[in-house]
Parts: sequence; C-alpha cells; structure tokens
Amino acid sequence: MTAILRDLLRYNGEFRIGLLLIMAVAVMSGLSFFSPYPPNDVYVVAPDVPPGAAHWFGTTSRGQDVFWQLTFAIRNTLAFGLIVAVLSRIVSLAVGLTAGYLGGWVDRVLMAINDTFIVIPLFPILILFYFVLRDSMSTLLLAVIMASLGWAYDARLIRSIAMSLKTREFTETSIFSGMTTREILMREHLPYVMPVVFSTTLNNMNWSIGLEVTLAVLGFMDINTPTIGGMIYWANQHTAIVAGVWWWITFPILLVVMTFVGLYLLSVSMNEYIDPRSRLARMGGGAQ
Amino acid sequence: MSSQPILRVENLKAHFRGTYFGVSREVRAVDDISFDVERNEIFGLAGESSSGKTTLIKTIAGLIRPPLELVGGRAQFAFLPDAPTIHQAAPAAVAAIRWRHLSYIMQGSMNVLNPLRRIGATFRDFALPHLGGSAGAFEATVTAHLERLRLDPSVLSAYPHELSGGMRQRVTIALATICKPEFIIADEPTTALDVIVQKDVLGMIRSIQREMGSSVLFVTHDMGVHATLTDKLGVMYAGRLVEVGATRDVFAAPRHPYTRHLIHSLPRIGDVTQRSGLPGTPPNLANPPPGCRFHPRCPLAMDICRTVQPAMIDVGPGHRASCHAISEGGS
Amino acid sequence: MTALIEAKNISKTFSRGGVFARRRIEAVKGINFSLEEDKPEIFAVIGESGSGKSTLARMILGIHKPSGGQLIFQGQDVDKIPRAGRAAFMARVQPIFQNPFEAFNPLKKLDFYLTMTATRFGGATSRAEADAASDQALRQVGLSLDEIKGRFPHELSGGQLQRVAIARALVSKPRLILADEPVSMVDASLRMSIVNLFGDLRDRLGLSIIYITHDLATAYYISDRLIIMRHGEVVEQGPAREVLSNPQHPYSQQLRAAVLSPSATLETITPTH
Repeated sequence: MTAILRDLLRYNGEFRIGLLLIMAVAVMSGLSFFSPYPPNDVYVVAPDVPPGAAHWFGTTSRGQDVFWQLTFAIRNTLAFGLIVAVLSRIVSLAVGLTAGYLGGWVDRVLMAINDTFIVIPLFPILILFYFVLRDSMSTLLLAVIMASLGWAYDARLIRSIAMSLKTREFTETSIFSGMTTREILMREHLPYVMPVVFSTTLNNMNWSIGLEVTLAVLGFMDINTPTIGGMIYWANQHTAIVAGVWWWITFPILLVVMTFVGLYLLSVSMNEYIDPRSRLARMGGGAQ
Repeated sequence: MSSQPILRVENLKAHFRGTYFGVSREVRAVDDISFDVERNEIFGLAGESSSGKTTLIKTIAGLIRPPLELVGGRAQFAFLPDAPTIHQAAPAAVAAIRWRHLSYIMQGSMNVLNPLRRIGATFRDFALPHLGGSAGAFEATVTAHLERLRLDPSVLSAYPHELSGGMRQRVTIALATICKPEFIIADEPTTALDVIVQKDVLGMIRSIQREMGSSVLFVTHDMGVHATLTDKLGVMYAGRLVEVGATRDVFAAPRHPYTRHLIHSLPRIGDVTQRSGLPGTPPNLANPPPGCRFHPRCPLAMDICRTVQPAMIDVGPGHRASCHAISEGGS
Repeated sequence: MTALIEAKNISKTFSRGGVFARRRIEAVKGINFSLEEDKPEIFAVIGESGSGKSTLARMILGIHKPSGGQLIFQGQDVDKIPRAGRAAFMARVQPIFQNPFEAFNPLKKLDFYLTMTATRFGGATSRAEADAASDQALRQVGLSLDEIKGRFPHELSGGQLQRVAIARALVSKPRLILADEPVSMVDASLRMSIVNLFGDLRDRLGLSIIYITHDLATAYYISDRLIIMRHGEVVEQGPAREVLSNPQHPYSQQLRAAVLSPSATLETITPTH
C-alpha cells in the first residue's frame, strides 16, 4: 500500500493535486477542535465584519466567525460523506460479490432488489423522509437513509467483476484446495474489487455531499448542525449576497468545490491502480 | 522477377522499451533476424510463447507502436522498394498496398468480421475500395471467389454469429485473398479450430496460395502444422532465429539442438518410443543468458556457448542454423 | 474387482435462455465407463469442442449434477454425497486445469494453495505438517518447497506452474486425477515432460488419471484406454493404441486422418462445408 502511494505521488500529477486539496480540506476540518467559539452559539462576535486580520473570512449576520464556523461545517460534511460511502460500500460489496459468485436464483433475487433501488427517484424520497420525520431528522439518520439508497449502482459493478472472477480457473483451484465460499469471496475475490471499491468510495462521497448540500440549501435538513449546506442556507435566509455579506456564501462554496475537485482527481488517478496490468507491471510481471 | 524475394528481412531488431514506475526495462523480442521469403511459397515461423514470433510479424507488418521500437535492420517488401520497413513508407503508399498486395489472416476471425454487419457488407467495406468497379461486377467477383474456395455464396447474407468457427475462419481467408494479394501474413489462423476443421482450413490456404502464386508468412507454434503445410521453416528461440531452411530438410535433418528437440519430442501415432521434455525454462527476454540463449537447456552446451553468440552458418542448400556444435563439426 | 469410478448411463441437459423461449441442450447423452480400483490407468476422453467432454469432466468433479444416470465413486453415488462428505470426496478426486497461468490467483503466493489443501484435505494440523506435505507433493513432480515458497505465479514458466498445479492436486492424496486439456497451453519444449509425469504418477503412486484432450497423438502416447466423444455420445472406445491405430467409427477415422505430421498430406480440394 505504501509503495502504491509512493508510486502514485511520484508519477501522477492528478493524484498530487487531489491529495493536496483533500489534505487542505482535512486540515481545515481538524482545526474545528481548536475553535474558540462553540458551533451552535450565535452573536459571539460582531456581525457582518468583512474578511480581515481579526476574522480571516469575516463574520456572518448571525455573529459567527466564518472561518471557525466553516471548520465545523466541513468536518460534519466530510463525516457525512464518509459514513454514507462506507455504509453503502459494505452493502454493495456484500450484494455484488454474493450475487456474482453464487449466481442462479440468489443472483436473480438480489438483482431484482438492486434494480428497484436503481430506478427509485431519489430526491423526492429524501424530501418525503424529511416531511415525515421533521424534527427527528438528523445528519446521521440522513446518512443512513442515503447509504441504503446509494449502493445499487456499485453493487452491479462489483457483481460484474465477481462474475468474471468466478469463471477464472484459480477460483476452481481455491474450491479444490478446500476453501469455503466465504473464504473465496474474502481472500480471493475481494482484492480484485478493492480498487474499484476505493474509487467508487470517492465518487459516492461526492454524490452524497452534493445531495446533502442541495437538501440543506433548500432547508430540507436538520439546520442546527453546521454543515456546508447549512451555512449556505443561513446565508440565504439573511439574503447575504444582497446585503453585501458575500464572504458568508463564497468561502463555503469555495471549500466544497475544493472538496469535489480533490475527490474527483483522487478517484480519477486511482484508475492507474485499478488496471490490474499496471499493477502486475509494478510487481514485475505481466507486461511482456 | 523470380530471383528477387518478395520479403527480405535483414538484421531486424525490435525491442520493447518501457519504463514501469521508474524502472526502465528493455526486452529484446526480435534480435538480429534475417531471412527471405520468395514468391509463391509458404514460409512457416515456429516458436514457443515469448519467443518473439508475434513481435516479429508485427514489425514486418509495420504495426510498431510504443513500447515496441524498431532498433535496426530492414524488413523490405518487393512492392515497396523505397521503404526499408513498411512503417517508414509514406502513409498513402501503405494504404495503397494494404489488402491489394499485403493482407492478413488473424487467429480470431471475430476481430475482422464486424458482428453487426452481414458478411457481404464486410466484403464491400474491405475490398470494394481496392477492386473498384460497379456493384454488380464486384458482386460477381466476390461470388466467383467464394465458389473457387467452395464456399456457398449464401454466406454473404449471413451475420458472423450465424456461422461456425471454422466457417468464419474460411470467410476471413476468402476476405484476405479476394484482392489476390502477393503477400499474406497468417498469425495462428487455425489454433482455435478443431482438428478436422483445421485440416480443411489448412488445405484451403494451400489451394488458394498455389492458385494465386502468393507468398504466405505462416506463424504457428504447432510443428505438426508446419510439417504438413509450409515450404520453408524458420525456428525462433528467445528472440532469435536459430534455424531456417526448407521444411522437408529441417524435419529430415534438424541441425540446431532446439529444433531437433521440437521435432523429436512430437508424439506420433504408431510410435511408442519414449519422448522427453527439455530441462529448464525459456529465458526471460529482459535478461537473456549470455552467449547462445539456448545454452542453459542445451544437451550439447560447451564452454564457448556460455560466452559467444553463435552466428548463422550454412549447413546445406538454403539451410542455415546458429550453433557452435555445428561449426565445431560436432553434429 | 471393485470400481474406482463408474458412470452408468449418465447424461446432462442444460436449459438456456429466459422464462420464455427456453432451449434445452443435451451436452452429454448416456455415457458408460468404469475405472477399476486396483488397476491404475490413464483413461483418455477425446473430443472436439462441443463434444461434451468438459461437461463430463465437471460431472465427475461433482460441479454439475447429472440430469440422468448414476456416477458411482468408490461405491458412493456422487450426486448423493451429503454436504459433510463433500470435502472427503474432493480430497479423493482432484482436478488439473488447462491454463497453468490462470490456475493460481496472480496476486497470491503459490505455497498458499498447497498449505490450504494440506490443512483442509490432507489432515495437516500445523504449519510444519502442511509444509512437509507440500514438500513431499512437490518432490513427486520434480520440484521442492524451497523453490516455490514465497513465489508468485508470474515468476514461473507455464511448465513449472503446471507442475505446481499437479503437486497441489497430489497434496490431498487423491485416488483420481481429472486433467482437462492439461498440456494444450504448455510450450512444446516442456509439454512431454508433463505428459511423462502423468505416466510416472500412474506407475509410481498408483493413481488413476482421466485425461481429457483433443490431441490424439499424446493420448496415443500416454493413455491406456480411451473413449472418443462426439455431440455428447461415445462413438468408439477401447485400448488406446488399438483404437487409434485402427479406428472403426467414421468419425474416429476422420479425427485420425486430421492428425498433422510430416507424413500427413493435405486435401487441397476444399469441401463446401
């Protein structure tokens, strides 16, 4: 793993830039632990102060420091994205590997469920959840809901890889070496899908963060937990742009765009790692 | 006209040069190879996997793409007299000779036949620009050609998947020969076929070649195919040509120990004598052994073989081999 | 005399396609043969693509269930082996596949599979016992654990990999080896040493080997008896050398005539189909 990281760093420009952006975002969210202001308190500083030495990114009309508020917002947003990605990866791996390897009626049943999830219109469902749950809607709950809606595409992708792995002779060698189905999936097939899983994790984070921001901006969210979308929502509520408080809306947008671009570049550069031929070439075999 | 070979390969060298994550490697897949292909003959090229035979025909056909590089030598066609190798010729000149003078028969017929187009449409795509003429005249030419190959012209209205593997390979041979090319490169065209079909297809290649007087460069690892089909035979080992000569002579009296092993290890029905495998394994071309590349596996290896690369020497009329044991008079 | 394996009129029908427009494909139609327990032999199954020979192989390995007939291994119906007895059956019937480069996971070390087989099927309870069993099996094929330990598949040649694959199959001390085209992808210079190894295992270890191939010449060279299959049926069977020297069925004669050798002649009049 360290060798892969080193090679990617040395030979891949996209990876370097992506990593730099994501590191900056990560440092930003780490700073939240050192914030002088509690995230949910308002009017702790003078409102509507433009960016300057005292307040780097200025302050909001609600008397919050934009910089420190942003550290909480990005932390929550990243955590949200990660939770959705990790949970949905677990589901898509379990469904994809099992359906692809076992085939038959197991595959048919799992794929019928899978395809149902693919065709469900996501956005109305999420809004419906908000109207049903109202005040009990929390960021964590939304993450779980989105994870259970966002695994289906990648499960299909993993299934197709598992199906081709199943027909390869080494799978039969494993069976006749006495390995159980679970061992074959975990030890033989999982390493082949991990690169894909890794790259789809980044895409999935992008997708869930984007949706979260959209929902929050529209107010269909728990607006008391500071997130990027939540900040933009409050800025809109106070008509920040019209009032000339541009910094309230610009910095959150800049930061989330940085996150998007960073995740995108990382996921693109993962392709180098995903291609098993380049992986084998690195191990010294494969390419003739 | 008959004195000049249609293809002259001289000291051809083509290497793979690649940098994999900071480590540069050079694989000498085609290393100093010379031979001629005369008009109206089937020249067979034999060799195991990673012997460089596929790289050699790629180089000859001008399909040189990185990481493969032409390092030296020539592979000159008589119909392209101005270009030392085909990939140094003007693109327009190459476009003009392809299919008309030089065509290919590949292993996978599905790579040639578009699965979404009927066979007849594929014939028009490939051959009409070269043959020209009216649609009716073209149709007549194609039908006549198919009938000569004992193929039912009704295949023209079929889709590739409707035909059996053997039938598809026959269609690709018809496609490759429709313009009566002077030179045909055949890369393992029968390897994927069943044995009975294989024999029919080989017979078809031989008939059309004899009828048109073309030359065929026929690549396969199967010595049985070479014995049955080819007029001349070149044997490759680890990127080098180790023996070349008339197929009959090579089979009757192989001079290189590798060729001798290939021929003597072939099991034959009716012969129950013990056959043996060769010890050791083919060398890694990124790091070949010094001297003769065959010496680590050679039963006749001498001190000189470990240090000095043997030269090709004449061992009979048109029969050459590169082995120190021959020049020492040890054979 | 008891049978090691006996096929009683076994057949296999696949159905393909969706709920509508299902097609039934009869891959194997009523095949009978039997290998004796105390008479180790190499039994060749000869056929071209579509002859049903690979389906037959997968039924013998217990991967496919026969649609009809019975397959008896050491007195036990293979189809009726309970889940608990499956491991014992797999230990006694082991496969060798066609492509040595595909037989092992390219990302895994080779000794992993030997150790696995030794602990799951060979009764090894410790690392040392598993290593000893692996080493013993590797020595049967002319290798040793020291040469293989820690190596990845791409570091070995096709011939060496096929030897490792055979050694892995031997670790569980099987009674029957099923080799599906085991030399068709091995280079010519290494092929005969693998073929000779099969003869050696039969003579030295008393193993029976079902050798599935399309190559009549190696079948003639190494096998004792053979069956020739076409479209799922056996067209001819008998002692290998007798059958191949003087084939009786028209299809066998056609196959025999298609064997290429320096003495073969090509039919240059091409048939229409």
